[in-house]
Amino acid sequence: MISLILIFISALFFVGIITKVKAKIAARKMPSVFQPVYDVLRLLKKASIYSPTTSIIFRIAPLIYLSTVLMATLFIPIGTNKAILSFEGDFVFFAYLLAIGKFMMIIAAMDTGSGFEGMGANREALYSMLVEPAFFILAGSVALFTDNISFNDLFLNLHIDSNLSYIIGIAAIYVLIYIAMVENSRMPVDDPKTHLELTMVHEVMVLDNSGFDLALIHIATWLKFSIYGSLITNFIINATWTWYWQIIYFLGIQAIFAIIIGGLEAFRARNKMEKNPQWIIMLSAISVVVFLTALIITQKIILN
Amino acid sequence: MILLFIIISVVLSVLTFFIKHKIVNIISTVLFSVNLISLSFYAYLHIDKQDSIYYKFDALGVIMTFVITIISIAAFYHSYIYLKRKANSESQKASYYAFLFMFITAMLSAYFTENFAVLWVSIEATSLFVSLLIFHSRTKDAIEATWKYLFVSSVGLAIAFIGILFLSIIATDSGVNNLNISNLLLVSHNMDIVWLRIAFILILTGFSVKISLFPLYTVAIDAKTIVASPINALMSTALVNVGFVGIYRIFTIIANTESLHWAQHIFMIVGIISIFITAIQLTRVKRFKRLLAFSSMEHMGLVFIGIAVGGIGYYAAILHIIFHSFIKAGLFFQLGSIRSFYKSIWIKDTGMYFKLNPIGALVLIIGLVSILAIPPSGMFVSEFMIFKAMFINGNYWEAIITLILLSFIIYIIAKQTFHLLFSDIENSMLNNKALANRYEPLSQFVLFSLVIYLGINPPVFFTDLINASIAILN
Amino acid sequence: MTYLFIILYAITLIYFALSERVKKFVWLLSIQGALLFGVVFFSLHKIQMFDFIFILVETILVKSIIVPWFLNRIRKHNHLKREHEPTVPVFYSIIVVVISLILSFLLSNQLNNNNIHTQYFTVAFASILFGIYFIIIHKNIFSHVVGYLIIENGIFLLSLAVGSEMPMMVNLAILLDVLMGVLVLGVFINRIGDTFNSIEIDQLSKLKD
Repeated sequence: MISLILIFISALFFVGIITKVKAKIAARKMPSVFQPVYDVLRLLKKASIYSPTTSIIFRIAPLIYLSTVLMATLFIPIGTNKAILSFEGDFVFFAYLLAIGKFMMIIAAMDTGSGFEGMGANREALYSMLVEPAFFILAGSVALFTDNISFNDLFLNLHIDSNLSYIIGIAAIYVLIYIAMVENSRMPVDDPKTHLELTMVHEVMVLDNSGFDLALIHIATWLKFSIYGSLITNFIINATWTWYWQIIYFLGIQAIFAIIIGGLEAFRARNKMEKNPQWIIMLSAISVVVFLTALIITQKIILN
Repeated sequence: MILLFIIISVVLSVLTFFIKHKIVNIISTVLFSVNLISLSFYAYLHIDKQDSIYYKFDALGVIMTFVITIISIAAFYHSYIYLKRKANSESQKASYYAFLFMFITAMLSAYFTENFAVLWVSIEATSLFVSLLIFHSRTKDAIEATWKYLFVSSVGLAIAFIGILFLSIIATDSGVNNLNISNLLLVSHNMDIVWLRIAFILILTGFSVKISLFPLYTVAIDAKTIVASPINALMSTALVNVGFVGIYRIFTIIANTESLHWAQHIFMIVGIISIFITAIQLTRVKRFKRLLAFSSMEHMGLVFIGIAVGGIGYYAAILHIIFHSFIKAGLFFQLGSIRSFYKSIWIKDTGMYFKLNPIGALVLIIGLVSILAIPPSGMFVSEFMIFKAMFINGNYWEAIITLILLSFIIYIIAKQTFHLLFSDIENSMLNNKALANRYEPLSQFVLFSLVIYLGINPPVFFTDLINASIAILN
Repeated sequence: MTYLFIILYAITLIYFALSERVKKFVWLLSIQGALLFGVVFFSLHKIQMFDFIFILVETILVKSIIVPWFLNRIRKHNHLKREHEPTVPVFYSIIVVVISLILSFLLSNQLNNNNIHTQYFTVAFASILFGIYFIIIHKNIFSHVVGYLIIENGIFLLSLAVGSEMPMMVNLAILLDVLMGVLVLGVFINRIGDTFNSIEIDQLSKLKD
């Protein structure tokens, strides 16, 4: 339960910190950390407007999106604070929950019949498809390393035996940060600030959403950031630490993660659109390296 | 002793490189020749003795050293003429001699070394120095040839080094901690076959750059198209022998195991493919240096076939490689002289050589007869022995294919050479300022008659050396 | 601890496949040199002064400082284009790296020899395979030298993998040979750049009949 609350709290601040960092670096006047929250509250008060060409799919998609993300949040532990739901192999379920939400958003975008939105949906589908192996190979190698296949046990046992886990952890964090960026359509893959529909990925998909629906989508995005942030935290904190240290670490790491993203967005340019696939497949390649290392360390497979 | 030799050579080379004076060039050349001769006699007198931990004077090394000594001294003389004709600056001449000394030194180190790692180091050094010599003329083609040679031989030797590392795995498995050939031979019978085979294939591939055989033959041919004739004489003989020595060393190890026949099959395949490629490539050849370079490839193919057959094939192979060295060197020296009569080196632009320079033409005809293995050439003896061994061994098909390919090769080489000798060309193609040096053909006559003499009436010490060098295989 | 450096080394291979900028190649080579130092340093059982100095010179000084510095000079001298697109799309190159890593891992398991350290062998062999691939897919001779250096780094790791204790003299000679080779290759790149006004491989095709 504690983990759920912590994730919600950090989700509230996350996007605020990112915008603050970006404003600071660009030497603009910094908005309040709660500015995104105010925006969403304002949106929540508004009614949605639907185009006459859209069907029921377009109307339910944001709701399903948010609910899948919320559901996924239930599976995330933080250190010794167990997740609310947990079973063997739950990380596969977790990944596909997020995928369902994404799928709904994609078909909703197609539903509008807009050429731009179709293009954005196409790109989003391609990138999620490419990033999927990276997540699974990474999760698989950690599972292999710890001999557990649920998020709870996996992270509980990660740092027990040896310090070798930190080596896997470093590479895993690197990959996870970028997976988070791809999943949330942030900088190296997609530029959320862009004003040209042709260069958008995620933003163009939600062009037709307004009011309440748009607020739901924003909230889902915060939560996703927070989820990935807590996964990263889990690679760092050790289950043997006392609970308050774990919480302090969690909040600190979330803040640092947000600052890193803000910095990345401020300093990096977006990749060329045609270079995105190769950049994303690189993440999978690095996960393969992690996987092979896990194999070598655990000496699981010795042929013949 | 070898270390002393290397130190003296390096000192001579450095002095020549930095002083850049005509007299110094000549003096250091004479000193280097003396150094070379004394090393070869010292090696002959101390045969089968260890010299420091990395070197050993074995019979094969001694043979190759005699060969390189004779060819080098002739090459020095022809280099002198070549540089005079080219009218290079003093510093270019000096660097030419300096690199030549180092090149020969590196090759000698490769002949005598007892350790596979040192062998690799020496061979890598030969490719570095020879690439500087290929670059000597500084033309566009020379740059291209140098780059290709240096790059591909570096990569090839990297592959060979992987093979040597694998060899060290097997050595450690069998309880030997170093890569000394004599130690490896002691334990070779209980080596892991698979690893040994991988190492063998990798080393064969890597050193094929030097021996200019299939698979990595192209760069050496390209380099020989460009390089000056005296260097070419060394590249096509002594350097090829370096590659041969390298491959022969690993072969002696694998010959002690049950993989002997497997390795011989590989040699047979490599040899026949090389001869086949030669036959194909010769149809398109338009330059004499390429013609001779491909001819070397053919003879090396024959040498490998000789080793593949075994028995008297071993003896014939060593004999063949010695004869080939002398004849090919002589032909290249003569080519340097021929070059000065014409404005272009392309075959189509040459002719009437018999009229222009009868003595040179005589040398060329004797060289042609010798390289085509027509009696009284010593090569006839060695080639005859190779085919005899093939028929005794029952390799009828291989022998027939090789013979057909050989007759084709003989036809093309003879045709092109006769074109040079007798065909009419316009006067505008001739270089009227040609200076035929009267003593230039002398070394060629010596080399060719040496081959004929050694073929007909080999002295006892000569056959003893060859027998000693193949003793390990029988 | 060696595992960390080996992972990072493997990741540099992936970045080699990913990057198209010539400057980045030089940087990656420098990083590889530093990583090799880490690998060797942490795999030493007991540190002897002479060994340590030799390794320091070989990895940090030569592989990580001198060679990249020299390559950078060549890069500037020849006014290389910022980007050199390989002939094969980067997407496939990354897949090739992964395949070569998996292949060499399977191979090292298959060999199952007590004298081989699997962790080094996997990366070393992948590095050699990838170096050859790198040479094939690039069309300019500067990148070819980079590929050759990747192969050399792989061989360096391989010599650790087989754990052969070559005498110091021989090691030194090998190092000297390789260094000389790289320097001479670099000088010739400059020559080619000056003479042909380009270092694309297409220029070098005159030598044939």
